[in-house]
Amino acid sequence: MELIDREDHQKLYLQLYEILKKKIENTEWTVGSQIPTEEELCKIFNVSRATVRTAVLELVRQGYLKRQQGKGTFIYRNVVSEGLTMLTNFRELLFEEGINFSTDVLARTVMMPIDDLDIKLEISDDKHIIYIKRLRSVDNEPVLLQETYIPHYICPLLLEEDIDHHDLFDLFEEKYGIKITKVKNYIEITYLNADEARLIGLPEGSAVVLLNQYFYSGETLIMYTRSIKRTDRFKFLMELERKVA
Amino acid sequence: MVARFRVLTMKLETFEQIEKEGIMSNSKVVKDVMIGIFEYPHIPYWFSISQAIRIVKVSFLSSKKYPDPMVMLVFDEKYNFIGTLTMKDILKGLEPKIKMSIHEPRPDEEAALSLDWNTFFVNESKELAEKPVSDIMVQAKFFVELNDPVAKAAYLMLRHDLLLLPVLQDKKKFVGLVRMIEIFDEISKGLLSNSDEIK
Repeated sequence: MELIDREDHQKLYLQLYEILKKKIENTEWTVGSQIPTEEELCKIFNVSRATVRTAVLELVRQGYLKRQQGKGTFIYRNVVSEGLTMLTNFRELLFEEGINFSTDVLARTVMMPIDDLDIKLEISDDKHIIYIKRLRSVDNEPVLLQETYIPHYICPLLLEEDIDHHDLFDLFEEKYGIKITKVKNYIEITYLNADEARLIGLPEGSAVVLLNQYFYSGETLIMYTRSIKRTDRFKFLMELERKVA
Repeated sequence: MVARFRVLTMKLETFEQIEKEGIMSNSKVVKDVMIGIFEYPHIPYWFSISQAIRIVKVSFLSSKKYPDPMVMLVFDEKYNFIGTLTMKDILKGLEPKIKMSIHEPRPDEEAALSLDWNTFFVNESKELAEKPVSDIMVQAKFFVELNDPVAKAAYLMLRHDLLLLPVLQDKKKFVGLVRMIEIFDEISKGLLSNSDEIK
């Protein structure tokens, strides 16, 4: 059985996440079966409850596991095999081709990670991150509020760039040679808090689309973006192409 | 040596005079002694006090790093350095209002007051902890440039009782920090070398 390697520089919860994910992907744990309790996982892998909880939560978030109140945590689905993996033109999905935005940079600063940002960015909680908050408008009407978080070490000079007029994506790829190779998108409905409502010009509590995006270069997570979009101003296009073996 | 130090702390009016006294090496400039800005945690002014507390715990207490001073750097939304925040600033920000409303306690009142203070600290401070750090930080008012003499930094820090001094490049870009330890090191080098010359 694969165990946690404490000499490995990778965080413990990430190691545990990978181990558990493998058990699901190679069907050692079958769909519908219950996984061991948090306490049992702590004993098996000799890690803290916080480590187990974080790894399990990530698997729940990824759709591998499902929690059932009062019953336990169960394998939710098998992961699609490599042959069925779809490719998508994410550039089109990101920038809504054909729409001309004007952009107001509301904040561009460096800060320490708060809440679960260290987990989202896969960094330790004592590392600095770059924070950029932008409000995008079409015809002077705010339509998109975007908060971007980047581990500072990924691109320490980023805030010296003209991010008011250049896409981060282009700066990463063309100036810094950081190729984005994978994006994970999580789309859900959320409700505006008072601050978001003021910025986007809708009543507090209005339903909007929340797009959480995780950008990878190889296996390294380089950026996390949280975008709030008005439901009446966006259509989502996701073009998928099946990989040919 | 004592006389020279008194001159430095009490009598000198300008940093040029410090250099004239020969206490500090004339050739040293701020960029020779400054430290990097990432030696300390950066936070934006809109973080709440409770968020700042968590950062103190992560950056200093949990990791058992106790730099002097133990401080966070506060920035605005354009990443301009605007102030500092220490644990003392945080505790003062959480201080219950009861203390503000009474007269300065006599020594015989201190014990009773501390009990009241404890109760209010728990009840009231949770609310106060949601205030932004901009309400309690110490604003940055003094700066030095990369090529300013160390004596200028020393003068400003002593004169204005500063924990650290931000270093700017071209009066704009925040590039470093000078702390009292760097100043002390330079002063002591100057003093010791002068003593050696006298011997």
